Amino acid sequence: MSIDLTLVGQFIIFITMLLLLKKMLYVPLNDAMEARAKKIEDGLAAADAGLEARAKADADAEAQIDAAKFKAQEIIAAADKRATEVKEEAVQKARVEAAGIVDAGKEELASEVNRAQQALREEVADIAILAAERIVGEELDAKKHAKLIDSVVKQGFNAA
Amino acid sequence: MAEQEHSGGIAEHLQYWTYSFQQDLPVDERNPFMQIHIDTMLVSGFVACLILGFAFWFKGRIVNGVPAGVQNAVESLVGFVNDTVRDNFPVHNPIIAPLALTVFVFIFLCNFFDILPAYLLGSIAHGLGAPAFRPVPTNDLNLPVAMALTVFAMVLYYEFKLKPVHFMKDLLLQPFASLLLMSKNPVVKLLGVLLIPLNLTLKLIEEIAKPLSLSFRLFGNMFAGEVIFLLIASLLLADNVADMASFGGVVSEVMGLLVGLAWSFFHMFIGLLQAFIFMILTVVYLSIAHQPVEH
Repeated sequence: MSIDLTLVGQFIIFITMLLLLKKMLYVPLNDAMEARAKKIEDGLAAADAGLEARAKADADAEAQIDAAKFKAQEIIAAADKRATEVKEEAVQKARVEAAGIVDAGKEELASEVNRAQQALREEVADIAILAAERIVGEELDAKKHAKLIDSVVKQGFNAA
Repeated sequence: MAEQEHSGGIAEHLQYWTYSFQQDLPVDERNPFMQIHIDTMLVSGFVACLILGFAFWFKGRIVNGVPAGVQNAVESLVGFVNDTVRDNFPVHNPIIAPLALTVFVFIFLCNFFDILPAYLLGSIAHGLGAPAFRPVPTNDLNLPVAMALTVFAMVLYYEFKLKPVHFMKDLLLQPFASLLLMSKNPVVKLLGVLLIPLNLTLKLIEEIAKPLSLSFRLFGNMFAGEVIFLLIASLLLADNVADMASFGGVVSEVMGLLVGLAWSFFHMFIGLLQAFIFMILTVVYLSIAHQPVEH
């Protein structure tokens, strides 16, 4: 149990082993471990960045959907408004057209009535002349007695 | 008589296989530094070659990707050492972790030789003509002292390199002189100067106690463990076939086997613990040397 030359031998063995072990085992293994740790760290950072980007994209998409919904609502409202306007315009136009048709009908009716009255007058005049001829026994000149006939017809109509 | 034989046997097995470069001189007159323990050198050299051979083999098989098999185990060990150093060290020093790893692995593997049967290697060495053989190199004070002195030298180197003024002040003025020198009274100042040698002595004792405690703790534990192995073998195992064949001999053999086995496991744990303690104290002493000076 004494300190002797073995001490020097142990110094040499220990220091040699320390230097060689550092060079052959510790440094390469530690480099590999650090490279792997860095790779994992980068991967995790990339995954975090991906998650962040996805969250941002989700938020953007949601904002765009909201904007699109708002715009769609605006378009629908405008379309409703326009439809109402078109409908009102159409109704108004239809009313005007209907009024026009009614007026035209009325006018046509009036003219038809007038025409019918005129025709009736003429027929009545003819009948009256015919009847008068039979009663009087002589032929009446239509042109000559037109004034008379008209007054008779008028009276007849008025009486009717 | 039997006890004398046993104690003689134990003492005989505690001898080193020593070679002296002064064979012509009487044993008492020989210079200790002209003799060497061949068994310690052989076994520690074998362990070192084993570790370096493994490192050489392993170096070509290191992968950056997913580790498997041996690399997993080695990475766990290196990771454990790195964590220990990182927890204790204030700054990065590239030599500390390899030093801690070397200390731990080397001491543990040297201690591991204690698992061999107590008299086995000695008897084989006797058979091959060697006068004695101690299989556990950490039982030889030279190995723990060499490692502890290496650590101590590194501590002194970093103390001088990183904070020379603080270290010299610490060496000369602590614990007594510092306050005395701050006094304005010239007599007290003189007393402070006179106390410098006392401070230096106390500080040197404190510093030298570090490698001493470091080395003697390891040596004492492993030496005591080996002595207990030898005692178990000497007291409980039979000396000859006639004793072994008797009832008492069988009981004694069984007891010896069980007690020896139990002590083997316990001693392996102690070997692991001592390797860890040596490593952690190495890191702590070097960490103290790296601590920044507090103003």
